[in-house]
Amino acid sequence: MITVTGLTKRYGDRTAVDDLSFTVAPGRVTGFVGPNGAGKSTTMRMMVGLTRPDRGEVRYGDARYHELRHPARLVGAVLDARGAHPGHTARNHLRALAALSDIPVARVAEVLAAVGLESAADQRTGGFSLGMRQRLALAGALLGDPQVLLLDEPSNGLDPDGIRWLRTHLSAFAERGGSVFVSSHLIGELSMFADDLVVVGGGKLLAADTVAAITSRQVASIVVETPQPADLVRALTARGASVEATGDRLVVRGATKATVSDLAFEHGVRLLELREVAPSLEESLLALTGASAEFASA
Amino acid sequence: MTMTTTTSPTTTSPTTTSPTTTSPTTTSPTTTTPAVPWTTSDRSAVRARGDDVRAFPAALRSEWIKLASLRANRVILGLTAAVGALIAWVLATTATDPALTASELFIYPLPLIATLATVSGILLFTAEAQHGTLAGVLTARPARWVVVSAKTTLAAAVGLALGATGMVAGFGGAAAGGVDLGSGSALTSRALWALLYTGLAALIGLGVGMIARHSAGAISGLLMWSFVIESLFAPALPDGLVHVLPFSAGYRLLDAGSNFDPPVAIAHELARPLYALIFGGYAVASLALGAVLLYRRDTD
Repeated sequence: MITVTGLTKRYGDRTAVDDLSFTVAPGRVTGFVGPNGAGKSTTMRMMVGLTRPDRGEVRYGDARYHELRHPARLVGAVLDARGAHPGHTARNHLRALAALSDIPVARVAEVLAAVGLESAADQRTGGFSLGMRQRLALAGALLGDPQVLLLDEPSNGLDPDGIRWLRTHLSAFAERGGSVFVSSHLIGELSMFADDLVVVGGGKLLAADTVAAITSRQVASIVVETPQPADLVRALTARGASVEATGDRLVVRGATKATVSDLAFEHGVRLLELREVAPSLEESLLALTGASAEFASA
Repeated sequence: MTMTTTTSPTTTSPTTTSPTTTSPTTTSPTTTTPAVPWTTSDRSAVRARGDDVRAFPAALRSEWIKLASLRANRVILGLTAAVGALIAWVLATTATDPALTASELFIYPLPLIATLATVSGILLFTAEAQHGTLAGVLTARPARWVVVSAKTTLAAAVGLALGATGMVAGFGGAAAGGVDLGSGSALTSRALWALLYTGLAALIGLGVGMIARHSAGAISGLLMWSFVIESLFAPALPDGLVHVLPFSAGYRLLDAGSNFDPPVAIAHELARPLYALIFGGYAVASLALGAVLLYRRDTD
């Protein structure tokens, strides 16, 4: 269990991370979501001791990160895909990392195979695509066979196959009991494999819950198609519902499907379509953060 | 605002993708479980001070792998040999003083080789900072002094290796230029002072690299200071201040006879060990400041 308590970081007058507290449970994929500039990367850097918090702490079980004897054997972190010297081969880059944490060199071949970089193992990383760099960074994180993976925007630069591979990999890691904490501003992408979400905006915690719980915070909307939209809009608004009308098509909030049906019957309005639409995770998060322009759907 | 997750093992998102529904394009995710037998039972073990000391050989091994597997470092070593041989050969073939021997001339390329050692020391750190590998090093080894110690040891070794290579090549170049080999009596002493010079030059480079964190800035700044600023301003300074100019002091570690002129003249020179202390002081000070900054600064 990772426990983040009261984490705060200021740069001059700007508070990048403001009293952030949450937990990351084992056996689950926890998405770390927020618009650009919400403080996600700063938080993740504080979680592995690269950035000094002004206040607060992060504990892995009972220990703080810098207290661990072999941090790479507990926590694998991918915070920057460019983290390899362009003159080093993938194999030598990983050999150096393995040596630093007293990890047997044979483990290098295993993680290269795990991320699908065997054939490029002896190529210099300067010629790698961003996707190959992401895979190499993940290989570095897996070297110590850790129980925790911290990944900052790991799908950047990956093609659709790569994204699917990553998703599968992370889900499998969590199913084996590991904790995955993965940041992304691609909500659609996260919604496909995250179990829990930590939502931040402006450095503050906006929500920390399961994906299902966060999605259910938004009320469902009713989609109606009718050849008499004006009559139905009048009836619905008189009942206090809000209605967005586009031609014959109405999106109704603040009323149930049964209410809409009853009102249509009472006012002699013919319905061509009547269905309830559950709120998407994206809609739920946008409602939480109120920063639609900075989010992007996968 | 403080909130805590209310995760429960039974609440799983319906959208969670099962690993069996999509197959990775490359390989099975299960292959990340190590086949190599080694211990991860100490995953959560808390480190003691002794653990950091025991981690030093591992950190040094890691630094060596990075150094030895980079082609640019082999190029610098080759360049050192070429520069040493060429300068000594040119001086030997154009020498007008018949008393000048190979056992003196082999020292002459050392100022340039010390510059290469300084640049190598700079790159030992700045290359990591600029290519983003420093974050990986510090997350794997949060005790920063272990990383600094390993880099310091390696930088000193690089300085000594470049110095030794330059001197061997210089001696060979001078001999090939046709001068007498000369007496071997003072050769060992000269070589040892010269090794101290190139070793300390590499350490100053590492310290400056840790402070600047930027290759081009650190290299151009040091070259500018070494070749331009000290030479330009030294004549205007009193002797007492000229003694403590770093590279003027460094030059005076070289014991190459009366024909060897350092670029900055000092009317009343101090004893060589005092210049060693001054040059070494700059190495210690730059490394100490670099280490303090490594602890205090955030790492990208």
